[in-house]
Amino acid sequence: MGEPMTETVVPKGGRVRLGVVAGDLRAEKNSSITSDGAVRVQGNASFHGNVDVDGNLECRSFESEDGRVCVRGSLSVDGDVRTDDGELEVTGPFRARQVDVDRKLILGGPATVERIEVGGLLQGASTLTATDVAVGGKIRLAGKLEAREINAGGSVELSDVSLDALDVGGTARIQGGEIRQRIQVGGKFEATGALSFGRLEVGGIVQFRDHAKGGVLHVGGVLNATKDLAFEGLEIGGVGAILGNGQGGSVAVGGRFSVGGRLELTGAFEVGGTASIHDVLRAERVKVGGKLDAEQVIVASTFEVGGFVGTRGGVKAARIEIGRRSQVEGPLVGGHVTIDRDARVEDVFGERVDLDRGAEARRVVAHEVHVGRGAAVSEVVYTRTFEADSSARVRATPQQVATLPPFPL
Amino acid sequence: MHPERSDPDGSGRRREPTDLYATVLEVVKRHSGGARITRVSYGAGMPVDRLRVLIDRLLSAGLLTSEEFEGRPVYDITPRGQEFLDTYWKMRGFVEGFASASPRDPAAPSLNPGSRPSRLTRDGGR
Repeated sequence: MGEPMTETVVPKGGRVRLGVVAGDLRAEKNSSITSDGAVRVQGNASFHGNVDVDGNLECRSFESEDGRVCVRGSLSVDGDVRTDDGELEVTGPFRARQVDVDRKLILGGPATVERIEVGGLLQGASTLTATDVAVGGKIRLAGKLEAREINAGGSVELSDVSLDALDVGGTARIQGGEIRQRIQVGGKFEATGALSFGRLEVGGIVQFRDHAKGGVLHVGGVLNATKDLAFEGLEIGGVGAILGNGQGGSVAVGGRFSVGGRLELTGAFEVGGTASIHDVLRAERVKVGGKLDAEQVIVASTFEVGGFVGTRGGVKAARIEIGRRSQVEGPLVGGHVTIDRDARVEDVFGERVDLDRGAEARRVVAHEVHVGRGAAVSEVVYTRTFEADSSARVRATPQQVATLPPFPL
Repeated sequence: MHPERSDPDGSGRRREPTDLYATVLEVVKRHSGGARITRVSYGAGMPVDRLRVLIDRLLSAGLLTSEEFEGRPVYDITPRGQEFLDTYWKMRGFVEGFASASPRDPAAPSLNPGSRPSRLTRDGGR
């Protein structure tokens, strides 16, 4: 056993000047401490009530309760910081191992810690490097944040980030950077600068104001990307809009979806409501429940629409199915094309084209053509077979040719 | 002082009872089973006496559990509490989606952002 530690006490309301403190330091409420350069506490520093420290403070561990401790300088703690029912403000650099603060932690300078846990507010004006940060209420950081995981119950406002994970109950607004594994936000997520990320799950609204690149995105309500968005998968419950170009794996949107440029997908494009693609849509498979409007649609396998399709350049797919009572503007070019009952289309090109009962087409060009009961077509050009129900109406005499004219796509 | 009085999604609207329950659950969740009531009050932005009423309701509904730690109760979220949060945020997502889909909503994102007028809008969808 060594010598018992001595304790230096700063009494209630006291004003002292300290340098090296041999043992522990205890400061009572409404006291203030100044230093010649730095206060070096060789043991534990404890504070009761409001205490001001003018100058740098070094100690082995730091405890405070029932008040606000303000260190106007740097705070360097070999071990842990614990604040019960109180707050801590450090205007200069801050270093500690584990930090546990009930109410507020305000940091003016760069900070390096292992773990931070704060009940109410964590605010920082400079960089923060930590392993884990958990805050019940709000995090507001102006400098670069490097951490494994950030957790907040309320909201976060962050600058440049380099994180593995971000988990926020309410709203998260970040300037940009990298979130390698996952973003999980209950309410609203906004990135004002360029961002790369892994998986993203947001209950309410997602707003990307710059280029963004990520893994799979699940958005419950609304996604709005002001520039380009690249992704592995995109699932939106409500409404989605990408004002630039979209590129990725698959898209599934419950309501409306629009892209200001082109959309290139290696997987499926499925929209329950309305889809509007300003330029070309390329996908492996397309299924739209309501309306699709695009400059041109190129699909590797199946194209299925249940409502309205409007294109200038046309739709090309191995298999095209135009749903019952649907309407199509622009040419359809497919392998096998089926126009369901009472649907209306313009020009159709394909290996085989089937017009079901009551369907209407302007011009059909295909190797094999079948026109069902009550269906109508103005002009038919074919090479192999032409079959028409007796009630079908074909305005011009079907023309059999040796070779079909070139398809538009 | 309780700086956080707005809705958990930051919309600034007045918090309704379900918002308050969600706020408390989100805050409790951040403290890994060690959430004391004073700490939750700072996170949720509500006074302890008001918070105590909400916590009692959440406990009786099985959305929170409590145990003694160093002579004081600490709270943790239950799987049912997490289910409440998942449902709450999913419902909020639907509401946001509806609000944005409404043509009268000025906050709705532009769905035809390019210079070329959409055939849908041009044709009125026929």
